[in-house]
Amino acid sequence: MKLSVDGLLVYFPYDYIYPEQYAYMLELKKGLDAKGHCLLEMPSGTGKTVSLLSLIVAYMIANPLSVTKLIYCSRTVPEIEKVLEELKKLMTYYEKERGQAPKMVGLVLSSRKNMCIHPQVSKERDGKIVDGRCHSLTASYVRERHNYDDSIPICSFYEGFDIEGREVQLEPGVYSLDDLKEYGQERNWCPYFLARYTILHANIVVYSYHYLLDPKIADVVSKELSRSSVVVFDEAHNIDNVCIDSMSVKINRRIIDRSTANIQLLEQTVNEMKEDDAKKLKEEYQRLVEGLRDASVARETDVVLSNPVLPDEVLKEAVPGSIRTAEHFVGFLKRFVEYLKTRLRVQHVVLESPASFLKDVYQKVCIERKPLRFCHERLASLLRTLEIADLTDFSPLILITHLATLVSTYTKGFTIIVEPFDDKTPTVSNPILHFSCLDSSIAIKPVFDRFQTVVITSGTLSPLDMYPKILDFHPVIMSSFTMTLARPCLLPMIVSKGNDQVAISSRFETREDVAVVRNYGQLLVEIATIVPDGVVCFFTSYLYLESVVASWYDQGVVDSLQRNKLLFIETQDAAETSLALLNYIRACESGRGAVLLSVARGKVSEGVDFDHHLGRAVLMFGIPYVYTQSRILRARLEYLRDQFQIRENDFLTFDAMRHAAQCVGRAIRGKTDYGIMIFADKRFSRADKRNKLPKWIQEHLKDSLCNLSTEEAVQVNKTRIFIFIKVLLVSDQK
Amino acid sequence: MAEEEEGKEYRWETGYEKTWEAIQEDDEGLLEGSVAEIIQRAKRKRQAERHGNTRLGMMRHLFLVIDNSDCMSNQDLKPTRQLCTIKLLEGFIDEFFDQNPISQMGIIITKSKRAEKISELAGNPRKHIKAVQQLTQVACSGEPSLQNALELALRSLRMLPSHASREILILMGSLTTCDPGDISVTVQNLKAQGVRCSVIALAAEVHICHKLCRETGGLFGVILDDCHFRDQLFQHIDPPPAATFLDSSLIKMGFPHHLMQEGKEASLTMCMCHVDSTDGEGGRLNSGGYFCPQCCSKYCELPVECKACGLTLVSAPHLARSYHHLFPVDNFKELEFRDMQDKIELCFACQKRFGEHDKHVYECGTCSRIFCLECDMFIHDLLHTCPGCATNHSTSQSMSNDSVPPR
Repeated sequence: MKLSVDGLLVYFPYDYIYPEQYAYMLELKKGLDAKGHCLLEMPSGTGKTVSLLSLIVAYMIANPLSVTKLIYCSRTVPEIEKVLEELKKLMTYYEKERGQAPKMVGLVLSSRKNMCIHPQVSKERDGKIVDGRCHSLTASYVRERHNYDDSIPICSFYEGFDIEGREVQLEPGVYSLDDLKEYGQERNWCPYFLARYTILHANIVVYSYHYLLDPKIADVVSKELSRSSVVVFDEAHNIDNVCIDSMSVKINRRIIDRSTANIQLLEQTVNEMKEDDAKKLKEEYQRLVEGLRDASVARETDVVLSNPVLPDEVLKEAVPGSIRTAEHFVGFLKRFVEYLKTRLRVQHVVLESPASFLKDVYQKVCIERKPLRFCHERLASLLRTLEIADLTDFSPLILITHLATLVSTYTKGFTIIVEPFDDKTPTVSNPILHFSCLDSSIAIKPVFDRFQTVVITSGTLSPLDMYPKILDFHPVIMSSFTMTLARPCLLPMIVSKGNDQVAISSRFETREDVAVVRNYGQLLVEIATIVPDGVVCFFTSYLYLESVVASWYDQGVVDSLQRNKLLFIETQDAAETSLALLNYIRACESGRGAVLLSVARGKVSEGVDFDHHLGRAVLMFGIPYVYTQSRILRARLEYLRDQFQIRENDFLTFDAMRHAAQCVGRAIRGKTDYGIMIFADKRFSRADKRNKLPKWIQEHLKDSLCNLSTEEAVQVNKTRIFIFIKVLLVSDQK
Repeated sequence: MAEEEEGKEYRWETGYEKTWEAIQEDDEGLLEGSVAEIIQRAKRKRQAERHGNTRLGMMRHLFLVIDNSDCMSNQDLKPTRQLCTIKLLEGFIDEFFDQNPISQMGIIITKSKRAEKISELAGNPRKHIKAVQQLTQVACSGEPSLQNALELALRSLRMLPSHASREILILMGSLTTCDPGDISVTVQNLKAQGVRCSVIALAAEVHICHKLCRETGGLFGVILDDCHFRDQLFQHIDPPPAATFLDSSLIKMGFPHHLMQEGKEASLTMCMCHVDSTDGEGGRLNSGGYFCPQCCSKYCELPVECKACGLTLVSAPHLARSYHHLFPVDNFKELEFRDMQDKIELCFACQKRFGEHDKHVYECGTCSRIFCLECDMFIHDLLHTCPGCATNHSTSQSMSNDSVPPR
């Protein structure tokens, strides 16, 4: 259908539009007009993606000068594929309505692992190995060597692309991963490099968060994207954690050992090279003297997405003398790694700021701050010079140089924590050095600064006002939309006590209480007898899950559960979990019915959808607070309190509630879906928790559904709710 | 053990019900049982969909699968799900054979992970009712097995000639099914064999049941209460549209007359229906009966399939009764009573005076008579002929002229 959104003609590829989609477009349009950032929450399954795409594409057609590019970031490959499907639908609709599709190139960029078409390399399973092998076939010096020695293998697809690909522009259209691969096969071009090259002039780019947020990758891939782009982060409820992860480094003994081996290898290669080809090293030295001038030229024109790892001043200066020659640099690295090794040899927990760390480094091994900053670049340059093809072996050393650069660049917003052992196993010595980012705004700041409109959207972003604070930006539009439903298809309720009126809660004090565990068990058994097909339960941690299941086993809860449904449990082992998940789905499909016990923040809670029969009921046992004893978290809380005036408790509740919402939201993935959401903890009924749930859940959470006992909940289910589900069904048939 | 009958639980022993919450206002702010309205609406809707000149599977072969598992002792239907089901089924079976005299039915129960045939495919309602009534003695136990029940039904249905419609109607109380193998294979088999499976779920929508119905083209329903259950059940009385790949073929039928042997003293004979029954009732020797025109076997009632030669024996009224499914009365026009108030006062059929509470009245498209809601329902459900048209000479003539011979 065609519709006018605030004067803008939007082609919408479906016959009907939901009111919330229209409202969403309206807000989005305002955001685009104002050239500001937006924060929009809309429940999953209401067609967020298609609303976003159709509005922004229409806007791009109407205002070709103000918005030139759409960068759509999503989390997983299946999600990315879904976006492209919608985009294709939209373009076909344009073609049908206007006779021709708009002249736009939409494409996807993913890792080499997903895009490689080289017959041998693409067989590899591990992403890192694919990257490494690709590099060893396509690096410039490898290709140079191939010129006079045919026995050195190169990738014919890359060669094909290199010869012809750069001149030809991709035809307008939408290219999914498979389309690109096919296109590459046809013309003998490498789809990965084709995509990387094409994103510069493509109108719509769909890729993963990391290409924009992770400074290591962003610098390579996304640096030349123009300012007049619109960036969309979909499923962005965890964006702060992604930011933090991309800026944090964790070093343990194994990494130290492997990087020591790396250094030895480097030393050896440098020596060899000095004997055969001293000229090359000299050239490199010369280049370093001149500084990283090329890079700084590029940045002056402000086309480069500034890399927070490598601040501007680093580019303007020449590499310091102390690490200019290869041998000196290797020695330098050796000293630094040795220093880290001594730091790991501790008996108690150490917590310090980057500044004191730097001071200590200077005192102990005489390494100054400045050369440390150049570490990352210097190593990259050295590896290039030494013509080491397979970079995967050097990943530990690269990690260490990454740490060195970060620690010397930032003094604020980071902390260093050395833990001699894991909290769970205090007797086993397993020292880890965490270099942890406390401020999620550091990684995302360049994105906000650089692009005129950044849209952050997800099904669960409540409470909305927290995100601008922790990401440190000022949205022009901030809104939450609910789902308009012809009938109530979700039933949230809060169960706060068991049949014996004992309050149920996963609070630390009552966690081991037999009565609480028994009440949880009873609740689950009751629900399992009256809810068909799949039931999913979320616990607060693996530890808690294990202890609860153990006592359920003793209390006979497991037996009575299995009378009605099969029982599956998520574990920390990924393979085991996916097997359990597979069988869970089979049990639901075949009508046997199943219960899945999983953990909030686990793999299941983040990535797996339990739509329709796979999740007719979701139970949340307890509030999924993060492990508050973790030192990294404590440091972050302290930082948030000092810098952003966010109280510790507020942040913890916010984090817990967004995870709880995320977990229960797994069950409702669309308007035709229905499900029961049970929050089983006394504390959920308090206003401060309830208010932090997304609007679309709160709307259905009436007062009469809060603070129920197990029996009442079951009664509600049996009488009203089952009528509600049945009514749904009756009206479905109409 | 004697105290097994937990059905006689006292009021105060049941779970607490917030009765005041069950009452809900409808759109117009009236307090009304919303369930009844849903049923009513669904009924009208169904009726509107029905129209003449569709090919129907008239010779139906229906297997009833009755869940007899643990959960059928649940008391959400009073007194228990099982007893309620049995009560309704008695009526259903009678009505079924009344409306579909040339059809056959068989009954399967499933419990303790097994399926068991309690009554073979046959056209005698009394036998089925008896089998169903005997279920009250059977204790509900274990889990049902949908797959076993389907396979068992399929084994019998597979043998049937190609012009017969094959159906399975499942009354499912359980939310789970315990199957020996992959049920989706069974579903595909059923689909390939053209068996139409319908499910009435007593508890909630179970995915596999819904899928089964969707795949095989049957109806899926979840009941709200016993009235709705009845309604859901009785909608299966109308013959379903024939599957497209069903052959049409001429069927040889016998129309035996009821004969009393006259002349010299009549020889007392047993009828074929009761010849091997051991119980006294009906097994008396008598002289009269229906004699198969082909092989002269005697039967005491029709319709029946001749045990000796396999001929279908019916009487003409039976066929005529099946016939009306093909020519349903056209739907009446729904009119606002307010607009008609001054023109009409009485319902043509029942002579009831229209009052304030009649929101709508119904007009027959052919004879333009006005009927009330109850009569409209009655005419379409049971009477199958419009009293207005029947009393009017011209329309009744034209009606019979319009008729197309059954295909």
